[in-house]
Amino acid sequence: MPVPQRKGKRPVAKSFGELLLELAREDPRICGVSCDCWGFLGPLHGEFPERAIEVGIAEQNLIGVAAGLAVRGKTPFALGMNPFVTMRCFEQIRTDLGYGCRNVKVIGAYGGGVMYGGWGCTHHAMEEIGLMRLIPTMTVVMPADGFECEQAVRAAAAAEGPFYIALAGGELPLGVPEAERAFALGRAAVLREGEDVAIIGTGPAVQEALRAGELLAERGVSARVLSMHTVKPLDREAVLAAARTRLVLTIEEHTVIGGLGGAVAEVLAEAGAGTPLRRLGLQDVFACMVGSYEDLKRRFGMAAEAVVDAAMGAA
Amino acid sequence: MTTSRDDLVAHLAEQARCIRRHVVRIAGMSDCHTGGSLSIADLLAALYFHVLRIDPANPAWGGRDYFILSKGHCVPALASALAMRGFFPEEELTRHLELDSLVPGHACARVTPGIDVSTGSLGHGLSVGVGAALGVRMDGAANRVFVLVGDGELQEGSNWEAAMAAAHHRLDGLTAIVDRNMYQTGPTEQMMALEPLAEKWAAFGWSARAIDGHDMRQIVEALEALPFEAGKPSAIVARTVKGQGVSLSRHHHMDRFSPEQMQTALSELGVE
Repeated sequence: MPVPQRKGKRPVAKSFGELLLELAREDPRICGVSCDCWGFLGPLHGEFPERAIEVGIAEQNLIGVAAGLAVRGKTPFALGMNPFVTMRCFEQIRTDLGYGCRNVKVIGAYGGGVMYGGWGCTHHAMEEIGLMRLIPTMTVVMPADGFECEQAVRAAAAAEGPFYIALAGGELPLGVPEAERAFALGRAAVLREGEDVAIIGTGPAVQEALRAGELLAERGVSARVLSMHTVKPLDREAVLAAARTRLVLTIEEHTVIGGLGGAVAEVLAEAGAGTPLRRLGLQDVFACMVGSYEDLKRRFGMAAEAVVDAAMGAA
Repeated sequence: MTTSRDDLVAHLAEQARCIRRHVVRIAGMSDCHTGGSLSIADLLAALYFHVLRIDPANPAWGGRDYFILSKGHCVPALASALAMRGFFPEEELTRHLELDSLVPGHACARVTPGIDVSTGSLGHGLSVGVGAALGVRMDGAANRVFVLVGDGELQEGSNWEAAMAAAHHRLDGLTAIVDRNMYQTGPTEQMMALEPLAEKWAAFGWSARAIDGHDMRQIVEALEALPFEAGKPSAIVARTVKGQGVSLSRHHHMDRFSPEQMQTALSELGVE
């Protein structure tokens, strides 16, 4: 089965692998543990063979081994496929990493959101944000593209404590030029300024948020577009600033229960913001269909057109 | 005439008896996982008073051997051994489950000095041990890793993922000790059979030995012979009795003793 990856200069595995090697050269504590993601550890293994470990298709052991490495003072990056590395071993992540406050970076290496499209619901990671953000001590980062991904991995390597990062690659269409972009953990990135409505996306859905911003501009609606790459801790300030528009929309390749939309709803409600909120994402359904990734996003309301419809309907 | 070996065995047996007395006193004050705590007392005595390289004054010492109690509910026995070794005052053992006590209901690294890994959910410890052993190897160091697992716990599939990985990575600094007390909430072999157990470890690539987990001489000999084979992790299947040493706790998972019961149990352990 082919590994779906978004278009970009280089495959995610290769660029992540090279970045991990660079970080490992700087910090002897850094190591990699793979759950059948060996391709991501190639560069590290080439230079530091003893610091790259394969555990086979065994997510529970992946996380336990990473926790044990952290007990010994290491900073392991533990790689698995998004839906499996967040669900099969949820309790290990919660107990061995969260409760244990271990300095382990869990990497959803591929298959984030609904990227597997019509290959089937077994391979959809539509709970990854919700599950990871439930865990105390966990930082949850969903980069939108290669730029944010590299920044997130560097930030995680420099920070103490458990992280979940869903890798992303490629470049955002219609985005701010890379040279003008900034990244700070816990701070949403404003990718487009606007006053009428605010679209908050996370992970791969940021692409659709940007496209929706463009489509809305053609209809005379000015939309602010944010990449909420850090879902936990959530940038409350950015959410409340978004609430000063007339409508807040969230979009994610995730069930709307407990994910980005849920997190934003919590902030808006507790602040008494009163601004209407529309959560785009899977509406408490499995995205069961045969077809492409694009087909699936269209049918299940996770494409730019759905954002536009929601924005215009409420406008 | 006694040999120094006889003296050692007698000394360790006395430490085990001391651990059991602490466990009984804990069960006299609060609910206590007596059965499994009593079945591991001899193993813990040998580990904490003869085998483990640890520094009670510096629990985070980088040269320490790692001990993981995967059956985390038996922390009354582990906490007793740690207090007896001087990680914290023995009086603290009288505060099991009390507010801000150092003696929790399940092993907690945040609460108890000398505990490296929090456990309680079964089937976690062995993987963590594999990771610690790999980390030690990355450092080119010689720290050893011991994981004490319950037998019923081995019904969790995660253990066998870890067992596979330990053998694949040739972790001969890692030892799994199975507290084979034959009981979970009921008789283990009736609920989900594990036999042939030593053969299972061997089939997963471990060097396995079965011993009597209450015969201090056999325990010491096995622990001193580690690793059993170069390039392989070692498994010690220790045949034990749940509640060993206290008739009232035989095959019991938990007890809460009345003052009279506690006195009976302590008498059995040589306290008048």
